Amino acid sequence: MAARKPVFNQQVLYDTTPLPDSIPAVKEVGATSAPLLSASFFIGARCRPYNDDYMQCKTENPGKGEFECLKEGRRVTRCAASVIDDINKSCLEQFRTHWQCLDNNNHQLWQCRKAEWKLSQCVFDNLKLEKTIPDAPKDQIPVHLRTKQIYAHYPILRDRGQPSLGKSIDPPSAQAQAPAS
Amino acid sequence: MPQDMPPVGGYGPVQYKRNLPASGFRPGTWLIAMGVVMTYGFYKLGVGIKEQNELAREKMWSRIHLIPLLQAEEDRDLVRRHLADQAREKELLGENFKVYNSDRYVRPTYAVTPGNTTK
Repeated sequence: MAARKPVFNQQVLYDTTPLPDSIPAVKEVGATSAPLLSASFFIGARCRPYNDDYMQCKTENPGKGEFECLKEGRRVTRCAASVIDDINKSCLEQFRTHWQCLDNNNHQLWQCRKAEWKLSQCVFDNLKLEKTIPDAPKDQIPVHLRTKQIYAHYPILRDRGQPSLGKSIDPPSAQAQAPAS
Repeated sequence: MPQDMPPVGGYGPVQYKRNLPASGFRPGTWLIAMGVVMTYGFYKLGVGIKEQNELAREKMWSRIHLIPLLQAEEDRDLVRRHLADQAREKELLGENFKVYNSDRYVRPTYAVTPGNTTK
């Protein structure tokens, strides 16, 4: 082993200088990958305009977007943080179940459909956000609503006392409309 | 001397064929069965590929929804480090040299590391 101490370690690369006061501070989201993946479609449902704004700003300022798009970036972060906060407030249990399931299953969304449906239901009831996959073919059941996930390790079993699942479950918005009509 | 002639009525038949029953189904049946199995297999393959495509679309969109968030955080960090670098340069050298012949932001390749750290 070399006797020389390694010079480039992560510790000395820390630069703790804060942003100058002219740039408003924003609290970072601070969530790890599994909660972000679990909440991604709800973030997309609420924050799509902000995200598109930010990406447009980055496209229109090539090479300088880091400085020009700080304002849009703060909006993106605030919006995403608000979604995560709201989910944490109203659906913490389902959220936690789902992202821990994702963490335990290599972030494969199809292994965790049951937890995902419960989270989607709760999020729709409380926040009115719904998961939709853009550009999915219209003539097929959306993949996140299929009760048979052919790549999952285990089949999706119905809960005790629950009627059999059928080919697909209804999206939360359709379930909300059904009792009213 | 009279010549030897075949017996009256000719010789009896000589058995030269093997008399084994053909086992299994007729070849046509095997062919059809193979066709059925192959068709079923390719159908299932098609179903699987379509599901994979949809799962890939889902994964892609989940990432698309997250990219602005992650990029914004990264950009803020880069701006913070850049401004800190500029301030440090100003303090040490008195002015900020224009290193690159363009106005684009260039991600720093090298980082200034303090000679001795206290923690």
